[in-house]
Amino acid sequence: MRTVLKYTALTLFAIPWVLVPIWLVVVNSFKPAGEAAELGLGLPRTWAIAENYGIVLDRGGYLMGLVNSLKVTVPIVVAVVFLGAAAAWAFGRSRSRWLQAAYFVLGLSILLPPSIIPTVYLLRALSLDGGSLGYVLTMTGCRVGIVIFLATGFVRAFPPDLENAAAIDGASRLQVFVRILLPLLRPVLFVGSVVLIINVWNDFFFALFLLQGSANATLPLSLFQFASGTLQSLNWNLVFAHVLLTTLPLVAVYVVAQKRVLAGLTEGALKG
Amino acid sequence: MVMRNRAAWLPWALPAIVLVTVFFVAPFLLNVRFAFSSWTSFRAEITWNGLENVRTLIDQELLANAVTVTVLYAILCMAIQNTVSLSLALALQRTSGINTVFRSAFFLPTLISPLAAGYIWRGLLAPDGAVNSFLGVEWAWLGEPSTALVVVAFIDAWKWSGLITLVYIAGLNSIPKSLLESAIVDGAGLWTRFRRVVFPLLAPALTFNVAVTLVGALSAYDVIAATTGGGPGDHTRALNVVMRQQWGQGFFGSASALGFTVTLLVIATAVPLVWWLRRREVTG
Repeated sequence: MRTVLKYTALTLFAIPWVLVPIWLVVVNSFKPAGEAAELGLGLPRTWAIAENYGIVLDRGGYLMGLVNSLKVTVPIVVAVVFLGAAAAWAFGRSRSRWLQAAYFVLGLSILLPPSIIPTVYLLRALSLDGGSLGYVLTMTGCRVGIVIFLATGFVRAFPPDLENAAAIDGASRLQVFVRILLPLLRPVLFVGSVVLIINVWNDFFFALFLLQGSANATLPLSLFQFASGTLQSLNWNLVFAHVLLTTLPLVAVYVVAQKRVLAGLTEGALKG
Repeated sequence: MVMRNRAAWLPWALPAIVLVTVFFVAPFLLNVRFAFSSWTSFRAEITWNGLENVRTLIDQELLANAVTVTVLYAILCMAIQNTVSLSLALALQRTSGINTVFRSAFFLPTLISPLAAGYIWRGLLAPDGAVNSFLGVEWAWLGEPSTALVVVAFIDAWKWSGLITLVYIAGLNSIPKSLLESAIVDGAGLWTRFRRVVFPLLAPALTFNVAVTLVGALSAYDVIAATTGGGPGDHTRALNVVMRQQWGQGFFGSASALGFTVTLLVIATAVPLVWWLRRREVTG
């Protein structure tokens, strides 16, 4: 009886919390402009799927945004995971004072917000402003700290016997890193990449300052420019179509990997 | 042996150290200088001007309001997020088929960008939108000074609650079952068990979540950009919103000063909070 009550309550909560917001986006992205302006939850009286999505793909810069988002997200995640794991190995095993000091500074980079305006200045001085390379380097520098922090704890909790044995057997450092360290760190690197992918794919604030021109615009930037084009009265059908297409790649990945994502996050790699 | 050679560790950490130094530490230090410098689009030269930027922002009545809005936003967002997430975590703690379905569903908003979340709720909360027609009222949630800030903070909390729920579930599941069982044997009721056993042992997860949500919300921008743009009036004009406006108008020094204010707020919030919560963890 109590169980029935609990799941009834959860369902009643999930309807406005998850279902209605998603339904609003989907159903209104199928309506013509006038009908979508009512922002109702009913089915479309007239269907305008092809028109709406055609406009978003054509005028909304969606495809270019998709390519640009992939072009920055993939390098950032790869760089953060591999450079982070390598650094975590060093921080976890070395007793050098210099490295311990560097580890402390790294801890600060997790806590403190990145300074965006001097970053623009710096990128301009390095002739990296406005493009994806500057953005990738900045995001990597600002996000690698959290992965190092989580992974260093993992390395420290694990005795170095296996690594030493492999070294005695003549394995090079790179081999030890690839064969022993990376598999050991897999759970924490997986959780780190999940959170990182969600963050980078959805990042708007950094992109707004660091990426210039539609040739570099990622999906959130393209959504904002598209929506702001008509700020006085949003074309809700088109905005929602853009929202749906922007979110879809992440949802698709999530649907495939959700078991591992949920298990990884609840098994506590983020905890503490 | 190779592995014991101290100097040999440096190359492994070096790429990450260089990236953090150049793209996080250097901008951080530059910001301390820019915040107290005259730097605009009208004059390329950057010269030290002390507290001039701060004074200008105070004279324009921008700073005090932005600080108040930012702090309120962060507290509201943290409170909503942690209340919802902890409740959901308590309900969905056990790993079972049906709980996994619910966890998965409640995780979905986390995948949506804060910007998109802003547009979605702007649609739901429009004067003639679904929320009002369900409640039978006509209220401009985002247009009225009394509700705008609460609503934008709510949207931010909504977006992240699924992830925070999972962190709480991880914390709950790390509590030894034997402790709960002996509390039941001792005749402790549900509420006593929560207050005396679960809550103190949940401290690491609580520390993490409260700190992360507060600090994250101090950098609020995306949801506001998608919904109110800082309005009505200046009721949701958080520090980063003013920073972007100053930047857009070419007042780079003032913009830096606003960014520096966010940093100071984060330090002022996070340091005592982490210290206090950590201490309670030990004694609690």
